[in-house]
Amino acid sequence: MVSDPKLLLRLYRDMCLVRAFELGLEREFKRGNVPGMLHTGLGQEATQAAIAANLKPTDCFFPDHRCHGLLILAGTPGERIMAELFGKATGICSGKGGSLHSADASVGNFGNNAVEGSMMVSALGAALGWKMQGTDRIAAVIVGDGTSGRGEWHESLNLASTWKVPVLYCCVNNGYAISTPVAFSHATGDLCEFARAYRIPTTQVDGNDVSAAFEATQAAVQHIRAGNGPYFLEYKTWRWQGLFSGEFRPPEEVRYYREEHDPIAMARRQILDQAAATEAELAGLERDVDAQIAGWIDFAMGSPAPDPAKAIADVYVGWEVTPR
Amino acid sequence: MKTMTTVQALNSALDLMMAEDSRVYLLGEDIGKMGGDFGVTRGLWAKYGAERVRDTPLSEAAIVGAAVGSAMVGMRPVAEIMFADFMSTCFDQVVNNAAKMHYMFDGQFKAPIVVRTATGAGFGGGPHHSQSVEGWFMNVPGLVIVAPTNPYDAKGLLISCIEDDNPVLFLEHKALYRLKAEVPEEKYNVPLRKASIARAGEHVTVVSALRMTQESLAAAGELAGEGISVEVVDLRTLRPWDTETVLESVAKTGRAVVVNEAPKIGGLASDVSATIAEEGFGYLKGPIQRVCGLDTPIPFSVPLEKIVVPGKEDIKAAVRKAIA
Repeated sequence: MVSDPKLLLRLYRDMCLVRAFELGLEREFKRGNVPGMLHTGLGQEATQAAIAANLKPTDCFFPDHRCHGLLILAGTPGERIMAELFGKATGICSGKGGSLHSADASVGNFGNNAVEGSMMVSALGAALGWKMQGTDRIAAVIVGDGTSGRGEWHESLNLASTWKVPVLYCCVNNGYAISTPVAFSHATGDLCEFARAYRIPTTQVDGNDVSAAFEATQAAVQHIRAGNGPYFLEYKTWRWQGLFSGEFRPPEEVRYYREEHDPIAMARRQILDQAAATEAELAGLERDVDAQIAGWIDFAMGSPAPDPAKAIADVYVGWEVTPR
Repeated sequence: MKTMTTVQALNSALDLMMAEDSRVYLLGEDIGKMGGDFGVTRGLWAKYGAERVRDTPLSEAAIVGAAVGSAMVGMRPVAEIMFADFMSTCFDQVVNNAAKMHYMFDGQFKAPIVVRTATGAGFGGGPHHSQSVEGWFMNVPGLVIVAPTNPYDAKGLLISCIEDDNPVLFLEHKALYRLKAEVPEEKYNVPLRKASIARAGEHVTVVSALRMTQESLAAAGELAGEGISVEVVDLRTLRPWDTETVLESVAKTGRAVVVNEAPKIGGLASDVSATIAEEGFGYLKGPIQRVCGLDTPIPFSVPLEKIVVPGKEDIKAAVRKAIA
């Protein structure tokens, strides 16, 4: 359990920021202000805070489609992530990537391949490159349980283990693909088994317990940084967002995760139990975060659409090829 | 100058680039001690070691994915996919990852990878070792497709591809591997996106690539005896292809025959023909002729293979029809 009050408060603030970001985004999406599809990380805030707090800016990570939180926690100005999700000129990719493809090279955010699970092999390559260059950098990849049937998973685990390259596998297991439960579609519901089969050390952790998630991630990162090759973490968590057509999960499960096992409420209790902050201090922190997010939304809403020239820019590197 | 086969010329290109640039490394199946299925990497494992001439399992998605990930951190990978037919198993990494990255991340990342692969029919390889796959990839913005016709171009083009910052699919025709020619031993470049006039002529333009260029040259030689002067334009880069050189040639001759080993529907020859019709209609004295593979898979039996794959006689017939 994380006992350092400063660290605990940082993790709490990070989680609150992610939740406020996602709630604000969801609201604007429902109002029709956010184009495309929306996959939020609501309910999965603790995993994102734990991962972000353990990576260095010189490391890299390949986020998945529910990783808006990680994108802002990595250090990209939050308003530029928000603006990207709104498809605006001020977005981190000038509005060309959107929710599923918001990369920021300057903070090690190597972007998502929205054919989810494909980043398993990209991370393998980044880790290989860094190992060949003699660095101690780590390539993290965040993937959901839903992609664990993809061949890229198994090709990546096999080669990362064989080559002993520094990949941090962060499997965020929220129990379901879109609607299909893991145990229904896989030979095992314990995804660590896949990694163990390839002789990669694993830890399964309650991904809603930010203390536990932080410490498990920290230990995995230390293992990799010491040159021991890859590590596989499975964060057991649960997402708030149901299907577009509505909730499909058992009512008791929904009630448990939303009322008893909410990562933010759990962290809040821990902070108060440890007297790391007072109720009033936490309320103040929460108000600050809400105000910050409101400012980011205003920024995104007020930003212009991308320059039309962007539509045909950067198809090739260094070549002036006018698309025909 | 030295007499080299295409295989030796390609080997020389890899050797020179690996000697010059420590970021260049190779990965693929059986490319190490064995030197590759066609011998292109022979001797490089002994010279540069197993770290830089990296044998992989049969994991094509991981081969290309690792190439992409490592390129994102500054490496210059050259991946070998044993047969072009196997590109189906790493399609996502080429199409959705490497080719789109620069664009969707607003120019922040590039994927300077070269994927070498053996393409084409002519030796009884059957349906899964004989296809011409350029058509699969013609519709992919951001991807470069390069296809040498002879040993000199093979070496100079491969060097240019390794030096280029764009992802390249480098097609090597199996029937051209043993072709011999005079090739400089030192480093030189053949430019990308630039077609060559493989044979100058007056009456008709034949646009082709890979083995079909060799067939077209043979046809042109025989037609010269009938008083028909054929200009053969060898595309060399298939995407983005050199419209300027093709249109200039058609402007001169007024007649066009487009040759491609792959099936006609949706293929390279369709795009070249359509572009000539669209942008060079005023030059044409008659209809464009296409000479393509039949709309079938490649059969195993060599006599059957000869029926579905075009050759010199088909090209001669098309040229006669074009000038009739």
